[in-house]
Amino acid sequence: MRILRRWRHPASWSIFRLDDRLLLILIAVIVGTCSGLAAVVLNRSLIAMFEWLHHFRHYWWSFIIPAIGAALSALFLDKIVKEGAGHGVPEVIYSVSRYGGLMRFRSSFSRLISSCLTIGSGGSAGPEAPVVMSGAAIGSNIAKFFSLNDRQRVTIVGCGAAGAISSIFNAPIAGMVFSMEVILGEWKAENIVSIAIASVAGTEISRILQGNQIAFSHRLFHVGHLDIVACIGLAIIAAAASILLTRLLRSMHGVSKKAPFPIWVRAAAGGCAVGIIGIFLPIVLGEGYHPLRTMIEGAYAQGIGIVTVAIFAKILATSFTLGWGGSGGIFAPCLVIGSLAGLTYHRGLILLWPSVSWVNEGCFALLGMAGLISGMLQAPLTGIFLIVEITGSYEVILPLIIVSIISTTLCHYIEPASFYLKELVEKGQLLRQGTDGSVLSDLSVQELLEKDCITVKQNMLLRNFIDIIKQSHRNYFPVEDEKTGHFLGIIHLDDIRPYLFNPLMYDAVVLGQIMDTNVEVVYLDDDLSEVLRKMDANRVFSMPVIADKKFIGMISKATLLDKYRKELMVQTDL
Amino acid sequence: MKFSLNDMARCLDLPVSTVDRWIRQGRIPIHRSGNACLFKKAVLEKWAFNHSLPFFLPNEKKEIYKEQNLGLTNLLPAMQLGGVFHDVKGDDVESVLKSAVDKVPVLSINKEELYKRLLEREALTSTGIGKGVAIPHPRAPLPEEIDNPLITTCFLEKSTDFAAVDDRLVFVMFILLSTSIKIHLHLLSRLAFCVRDDLFVEFLRTYPDTSSFLSRIADCENLLDKTD
Repeated sequence: MRILRRWRHPASWSIFRLDDRLLLILIAVIVGTCSGLAAVVLNRSLIAMFEWLHHFRHYWWSFIIPAIGAALSALFLDKIVKEGAGHGVPEVIYSVSRYGGLMRFRSSFSRLISSCLTIGSGGSAGPEAPVVMSGAAIGSNIAKFFSLNDRQRVTIVGCGAAGAISSIFNAPIAGMVFSMEVILGEWKAENIVSIAIASVAGTEISRILQGNQIAFSHRLFHVGHLDIVACIGLAIIAAAASILLTRLLRSMHGVSKKAPFPIWVRAAAGGCAVGIIGIFLPIVLGEGYHPLRTMIEGAYAQGIGIVTVAIFAKILATSFTLGWGGSGGIFAPCLVIGSLAGLTYHRGLILLWPSVSWVNEGCFALLGMAGLISGMLQAPLTGIFLIVEITGSYEVILPLIIVSIISTTLCHYIEPASFYLKELVEKGQLLRQGTDGSVLSDLSVQELLEKDCITVKQNMLLRNFIDIIKQSHRNYFPVEDEKTGHFLGIIHLDDIRPYLFNPLMYDAVVLGQIMDTNVEVVYLDDDLSEVLRKMDANRVFSMPVIADKKFIGMISKATLLDKYRKELMVQTDL
Repeated sequence: MKFSLNDMARCLDLPVSTVDRWIRQGRIPIHRSGNACLFKKAVLEKWAFNHSLPFFLPNEKKEIYKEQNLGLTNLLPAMQLGGVFHDVKGDDVESVLKSAVDKVPVLSINKEELYKRLLEREALTSTGIGKGVAIPHPRAPLPEEIDNPLITTCFLEKSTDFAAVDDRLVFVMFILLSTSIKIHLHLLSRLAFCVRDDLFVEFLRTYPDTSSFLSRIADCENLLDKTD
């Protein structure tokens, strides 16, 4: 029995308590492997589903296949696992910044199933974000199993995300960078160690099961000087496409929210729209890796007109899928849109300057992909490393950097928050470590409570109150009801100072008459930023804290500053 | 080392909820095991120092509290220390103070300097508080010259004009030397409480001897402590 109990609490095994870093590395291996497995499973089931449904593609009613898939996925998320639609990355970031990476166990598989339904049936979305969410949830739950503390759990969640991205793209560096740049939002040596290990584990799993293949192989590119100059224009197009996609996704979301139908009907409507677009331009269906390969090889035959239309069609299809309740990520659509944009730009260049010998159009497709990823995520490093790794083309690194950086800058200029963070920023939920918001949200009213106030009863005479003032260190005296003990109001010394020196008043006034009953109060579970806003609005430095209608203490700006500073020091330089 | 969460919070002088959260978030080098906090003393001390947080083991802390709780000296010990003198000579403020300063029974004080300071204070406003009582004192406390506050009581040979608030001639002086402003106010307010009582002033006018004077002061202080 005792042995059994020890097994239930692996955190107490002495081997893990030897050194925390060792423990983290060990867990990182486990988490990286698990999230890598999740990625492979999703990838395989997508392929299987796509092949199974392929037979139905040539029927006239095939456009409802994406609708059925999207509706099933919405029903599954809404009724069975009770989670919101969407790709899940904002949820991971929010959980990391607010709850120390705490996530539900069901999140580790829910997105896999729903996105498999959406994408497998032809919805325009990517499998990466769902895998990131699953990996993060797996990490979080393993960390919980080992009863790690919040900081360690956050690292492990990052490991899960890194393992997932590494595995699905066979790109260990991109996984690491994505996890640091987007999920954790901070670069710390102690995080990097575990996340690197998880990336290696995730990549290795994918290589064992699927073979070591570069996702998008291609010929060697010879990048000339003119191409580097030309890629500035591509960056601008990529930025424009990113912003169009961001805006359209959000507005679609707004439109579908207003529609008075149940969520699965909306998802089905979105799926139908995608299916109809897909009849004319099959490139928009699914995650789009197959056309992507053709484009990078430079073998995409369509003319400039169709390619340009395809960009908008893909953007539209992605917004229909994700905005109307389907489930999946924006990674893969970004890659497709980016390479389409690259092709368009390349063909435009040839039209304008036919005599110049430009580099192969596959190279521009690849640069476009980097531009879109960097622009959407506002994470230039992720864009650069991902493209280098999935195409194995180090020779294009210079234009790649230029496109990524310019696209990120432009997008940041127009949309200050990236696609993943926008919703969080709008709700004020993005709390990176060491910022004002995170310090305030970590501190609770309970911790700031000052209990040195003397409470008085409402029927006390002013004469007796004078004696209490003598003993008190504070200027505030909360007034209570004799019988119930409920808080009635507060007396501030400043308000009654004039009467204190008039002995005639001593027996004529009871405290109930001179207290201020119109006071703003704070409750124990109030948000500190809200409390501060109230203090500023009323120009007060202290407010009474009430729990269960009874006075339990004061909260003041002075104590807040003291605690705030301690918290900030503890949060930042560890 | 192993502490309970409550003890730990006391050692760090933080609310229990803060310590609990910091441990949960992994911000402080302490391990939780049930309600016990496991930590290495040296590591935690270094951490606390780096974050300029206080850290005391419980027994170390008590000593500090003891020092703080020494409390304020009351009139009686200060008066015993300062001594009671009768028939202090002098015709005006300067000469009375001069001879009174000579009687102050503390060797560490520069008498010349003290005399000058008392006069300086007297020049601001009279320290004669009425009813024939004066409380000369220097403007600032003397923490370096004396270790403990003291009050030297001087019954004057001749009543002297101190330009007191009620213009009555002063017959008794309490020279009040204190180590801090807080003690000064404390002693001054206690002395004022005694003098406010007309019976006490009547008693002073009988020029009582040292022992009966001190016992009367003790009675007054008891009364004062009761009303508090």
